[in-house]
Amino acid sequence: MRVFRKCRNRTLFAHITAVSIFAVCTIFSATGKAAEYDLSSRSYLNLYERETVAGQTEQFASLYEYLSLDVWEIGERDLSFHLYGWGRLDLGDESRGGDTNGDLSSAYLQYRDPWGNRHGKLGRFFLTEGTTAEMLDGLLFKGLLWHNFGASVYGGAPVENSIIAADEGDAIFGGRIYYVLPGVTEFGLGYFFEEGDFQGDNREEFGGDLWIRFARSLDLAGRAVYNIVTSDFAKHRLTLRLVPVHTVDLVVGTEEYQYKDLFQKSLHSAFLPPTVNPDDKVQSLFAKLDWQTSEKLSLQAGVKSISHDESDPGEATRGDVGLRLKLDGSVNLLGLSAAVQTADLSENEYQTYRGWLMGSVNRFSYSLDALTYLYEEKIDGEDTTYQVVGSAGFRFSPKFAISGDVRYTQSPRFDEDLAVLLRADLSLDSSGGGN
Amino acid sequence: MRSVLRTIPWIFLVLMISYGCAAISDRESVPSQHPIKFDTGRPNCLECHDDEVSGALKPYGSFAHTAVWLQEHGTYASQGQNLCTACHSPSWCQTCHANVEELLPSIRFGNRPDLEGPPHRGDYIVQHQIEGRVDPGSCVTCHGNRNNETCSRCHL
Repeated sequence: MRVFRKCRNRTLFAHITAVSIFAVCTIFSATGKAAEYDLSSRSYLNLYERETVAGQTEQFASLYEYLSLDVWEIGERDLSFHLYGWGRLDLGDESRGGDTNGDLSSAYLQYRDPWGNRHGKLGRFFLTEGTTAEMLDGLLFKGLLWHNFGASVYGGAPVENSIIAADEGDAIFGGRIYYVLPGVTEFGLGYFFEEGDFQGDNREEFGGDLWIRFARSLDLAGRAVYNIVTSDFAKHRLTLRLVPVHTVDLVVGTEEYQYKDLFQKSLHSAFLPPTVNPDDKVQSLFAKLDWQTSEKLSLQAGVKSISHDESDPGEATRGDVGLRLKLDGSVNLLGLSAAVQTADLSENEYQTYRGWLMGSVNRFSYSLDALTYLYEEKIDGEDTTYQVVGSAGFRFSPKFAISGDVRYTQSPRFDEDLAVLLRADLSLDSSGGGN
Repeated sequence: MRSVLRTIPWIFLVLMISYGCAAISDRESVPSQHPIKFDTGRPNCLECHDDEVSGALKPYGSFAHTAVWLQEHGTYASQGQNLCTACHSPSWCQTCHANVEELLPSIRFGNRPDLEGPPHRGDYIVQHQIEGRVDPGSCVTCHGNRNNETCSRCHL
C-alpha cells in the first residue's frame, strides 16, 4: 500500500510538473511578452556519518536542490505562476530508504483581480482559509463580492503524507464567507470537508475566525473549530494584542483543545490511541512581549501555562527571556535567550540556553550559534544536549553566494556528531519587489 | 469522486456571484508586488506608511514583524495572504509549511541564527519527546497528515 502511494505521488509529481511547464511555455509563446520573474536556486550538500546497530559506519553525502520560480504579469495580465519544490540525490550511502527523493510543494497559476482582492488559484498550492490550512491539487476562488462581504470556495485532491496503513484523503472541498469593516473587523465562517478514512470517518469541520480592532493599539483575534464528525469543539484560540507604542508588542491569550476532536483528522499514529489518551483535554494561557528598548537593543519575554485534564502529563509552565543587540551598525547581531519549563512530572522539565552571533566583513559573512538543553530527568541515560553551529560564507554578487556550516552535537542520541553543510544560493530576477 | 462533483456547483455559484457583483465591490486590491525590495531584517511598514487601512483591509501597524507577530502570523495569514505575497514569494511560506521535508529549515538556514521562524533547532528529535507530551496540539497542524516520514522510525 505504501509503495502504491509513493508511486501515485511520483506520477502526480511528474504530471503536475509537465502541466506547469507546458502552461508557462504556452503562455509565453502565446503572448510573446517578457513577464517579470524571480528564480531562486538553493543547493545544499549535507555531509554526515552514522553508526548502524551492527557497528558499521555509514557515510552520507546528500545533495539537495530547492528550486523556486515565480512569474508575474504573464501576458501583461494579472496572471502569475508559482513553482516550488526540492529534490535529493545521495552521492554517498543511501540515506532515507532510497538514493533519491523529492517533493513538489507548489505549482499553480494565479489570477489576481485589481479590485476586491479577488483571486483564483489552479494547481498545487498551500491553502489557508480561516481555520483551514491544507495543501491540495485543485482550485480556489476568493474575494470581496458585495460591499464588504466576501467568500472563498475551494476543491480538489488533498496532498498528504501518511505513515500509517490507512489511505490518505480522496477529495477536499469547502469554503468561507466573511465580512470586513476595513480597519475595524474581519470575521468569517468556514466549512471544510475531506473524504477519506480518518479513524473510520471523513473529516468535516465548521470554523470561525475573528479579528477586531478596539482601539488604535488593541486587537482581539480568535479562531474556533467545530468537528462535525465527533460533534464537539476541537479547538479554540483567543488572543489580545496590545501595541501601545510601535516599540512594544504584547500578546496575551488562551487556547483549548480536546485530543479526540482535534486529532480525529490525523494520519499519524503519534496522535492516536494508544500513544495518546483520547479523553485528554488541554487548556493553556500565554503571554508574549517584544520591546524595542533602543535602536540597538530589543528584549523578548514569554510565559505559557499548559494544563491537562489527565494527571499524566499533568501541568507544565514555560518561561523564556531573550535579547537581540546590534553590535556594529545594522550588520552585526548578538542574541541571547534562556527558557525554563517546570512541570508536574519531572520528565517534562528542562532548561534551555542559546547564544548566537552573526555579521559580515566586506563580502565575507560569519555566524556562530550555540544551544543547550538541560533535562531534569535523563533521556536514554543523558541529561544534556549541546549543539554548536559555525558558519562562514562569501558573496560573489548580490545574486550568488556560497557558505558552509559545521554542526557539532552531543545529545542522548549522539555521543558526538559532526556534520557539514555546504550551500550555494543563486537568485535571478527581473522585478523590483519580492523577498 | 462524488465529493469532487459536488464542488462544481459551488464553483459556478461563486463565479456567477463574483462576476455579477464585480461592479459593486470596487475596493482596490493589494498590488501583486511591493515596489521596493527589502534588505534582510524585520521591515516596519510604518517607516513609510501611516497606520492606515491597506488593501489587506487591516492597518499597516498590525503587520509590524516583531518577534511576537512572527509567532502570531497565522492569525493574519489565515484571513488573507495578498499582503504577505506582495513581499514574500509564495514559496517562502513553504520553507516551513511543507508536505514532505527531509532537511530541517533550521539546518538549511544554519547561517541565519537571527531568523525566528525555522523551528526545531538543536537535536529536536530528543526535545520533541517533551514538547509532544506536553502540547501535542502544537505538532498536529504540521505533522498530523503531512511531513511525517521521519516519524515512522519510531511511531508505527
